[in-house]
Amino acid sequence: MSVDMEELITNRRVIVCAGSGGVGKTTTATAIALAAARRGRKVLALTVDPSKRLAQTLGVDRNNDRPVPIPASHRADAGIEGDNLEAWMLDPSVVADQFVNRFADSPEEAQRLLNNRLYRQISRMVAGMQEYMAMEALYGFLREDRYDLVVLDTPPSRNALDFLYGPSRLSSFLDGRIFKLFLPEEEGRRSFLRRAASRLVNGVNAAVFGAEYYLELQEFFGSFSGIFRSMNKNAADGLSRLRDPENVAFLLVTSPASTSLTDAFFFRRKTVELELPFRGFVLNRSQAAAGDRVFPDASMFGGTPTAVQASALEKLVRLAKVEQAAMARDRQLLARLEEDAGGGLAVALPNIPSGADSMPALVHLGDVLMDA
Amino acid sequence: MLHLFDRRVALVTGKGGVGRTTLSAGLALAAAASGKRVLLTEIGEPDGDYTPLARMFGRDTLPADPVHLRAPKDLDVGDRLHGCVLWPRNGHEAFFRTVIPVGAVVKAAMGSSALHKLLDTAPSFREMGIFYHIFTLLEAKLPDGSDRFDLVIVDMPASGHTLGLTGLPERLLALMPTGPIAEAMHKGRPYFTDPEKCAAWIVTLPEVLPITESEELLDGLRETATPVGGILMNRVLTDPFTEEERAALEPVLTDAHFGHERFVGVVSSTRALDDLEARKRSLDGGRGVEILEIEEMPLQDDALLSAIARRLQEAGGAR
Repeated sequence: MSVDMEELITNRRVIVCAGSGGVGKTTTATAIALAAARRGRKVLALTVDPSKRLAQTLGVDRNNDRPVPIPASHRADAGIEGDNLEAWMLDPSVVADQFVNRFADSPEEAQRLLNNRLYRQISRMVAGMQEYMAMEALYGFLREDRYDLVVLDTPPSRNALDFLYGPSRLSSFLDGRIFKLFLPEEEGRRSFLRRAASRLVNGVNAAVFGAEYYLELQEFFGSFSGIFRSMNKNAADGLSRLRDPENVAFLLVTSPASTSLTDAFFFRRKTVELELPFRGFVLNRSQAAAGDRVFPDASMFGGTPTAVQASALEKLVRLAKVEQAAMARDRQLLARLEEDAGGGLAVALPNIPSGADSMPALVHLGDVLMDA
Repeated sequence: MLHLFDRRVALVTGKGGVGRTTLSAGLALAAAASGKRVLLTEIGEPDGDYTPLARMFGRDTLPADPVHLRAPKDLDVGDRLHGCVLWPRNGHEAFFRTVIPVGAVVKAAMGSSALHKLLDTAPSFREMGIFYHIFTLLEAKLPDGSDRFDLVIVDMPASGHTLGLTGLPERLLALMPTGPIAEAMHKGRPYFTDPEKCAAWIVTLPEVLPITESEELLDGLRETATPVGGILMNRVLTDPFTEEERAALEPVLTDAHFGHERFVGVVSSTRALDDLEARKRSLDGGRGVEILEIEEMPLQDDALLSAIARRLQEAGGAR
């Protein structure tokens, strides 16, 4: 396996940027989306990260109910000629509503479901739902064929894996057995033992949830069982779709910090286990990417330094030494990542001291990725 | 004085990559070294995947029942430092025992895999289990009747999920205003809303974006009625340059020089901090926010932990 970014953005339909929190997943995903759009591909940058960064930089609002084109002025700043870059800061509850509308038997039925009190709460909760909805949105875009490439920035989580567990967590929530637990008793030929067991469960549930709320729960599960079954099927499909090596590429983003590296190596092993198409590491905010630099000395002042210049230089040299040591360390890290990538990419992105959130910085990072 | 250790609960929060876990560990060490019986926790599966927090104490994972944690050699924490994961299932079971008096029935209920799945995965119930687990740990007593733990520290998940947890009592009470869960929420809520009992500490970095995000988190915490102890400004770079020295370097230093990046970093981080200091009295809805600056330390592992613990001990002694 030998890959480069140019090949990935040309031949893949989905690029997933995963990694632990704070390593720069959003930055990397945005840089890739911009680079692909600059090369003429029709791109969607999809993020479920509640931070506002991507939206601000790209000039779009958060919580739109659908993907929106990047404004012309922002596109011009990025050197994108056509109208071929859209972004969506995904609001999970909006996607859930769309889903209900699609799968309900009639518009009236949909409205009834959407007004259910428990539904309103559950569709707005964060954990699991967000991950599931990202998959659901992704699945929809792939089916519709509206984009050449979707770049997915995974939700923030304790570690990179939560993103993958999210949908299965939700799909086990949507597991049929849970519905049986809450659905009203079916009359019929059930054995005495089964009826007794089910009475026990009912009794426990009523005690735990309170009789009144328990009735409401039963109603909720009753009305939604059909829709949840579709969701469950899609959650399973979503994961298998991500296994498609022809169309999907996983990039693991890490920083040089040891905790995020440990996560990245761990996640790398998991991609093998889960048969996900890992295509490379991105070592973000690293000194390894910085080009050849010179050590500061008196010659930079073009003559004998003044007293102020001399003391400034002395302090600067201390900072320079820290940076030089970091560069040596980061180059070793990159070599380790390269080895672990097994033919996949290992790209270093530089730290941008003024912040990586400006358009020129993102375009620059995109160029670094493409040149790797 | 920041009163870092004299409440029952410390929620350590902030976005990923700012050093939240390191400061949680440092806070636990500092409090234990100051004589508190401390329980350091994070949300997770008992003995599940390795966690960075467990790693700091020479372990791969933590169990759901508190165990002693070892401290760096130069810190005397006696036997006062403990750790465990907060595990929804533990909370659910404890809760079941309060509403279902028959132990055998609780056992049968917890043995029902469908019920498990529901409680583990249904968003609010998972958090309810975590909430109840903290609650039982806070209520635990020693044989002499005193609290088993003076202080429970929670290394919270990333910002969005933090608010999912702190907003839980209100949300569950809106869903079910009466019944056993509502009662439990009423009982446990003061541990998370009473400023005498609880404080959230927002960890951030002296850079524009992390600061903006911590201000958003501050607003979110206020909305969920969670009292904020202060901002822990991590990895503050001390600016070694005088005004004149900076002026001497600025025209000649370029990104082709080693040291340029850190020079720019020092200058912009000082600016970001000054800006925040100027506004801090108006933050948190006008209540103002305390900011503790923790200098960047070129250390690793135990040496880093103990240096941070000492810094926190010096900044926030007991009331």
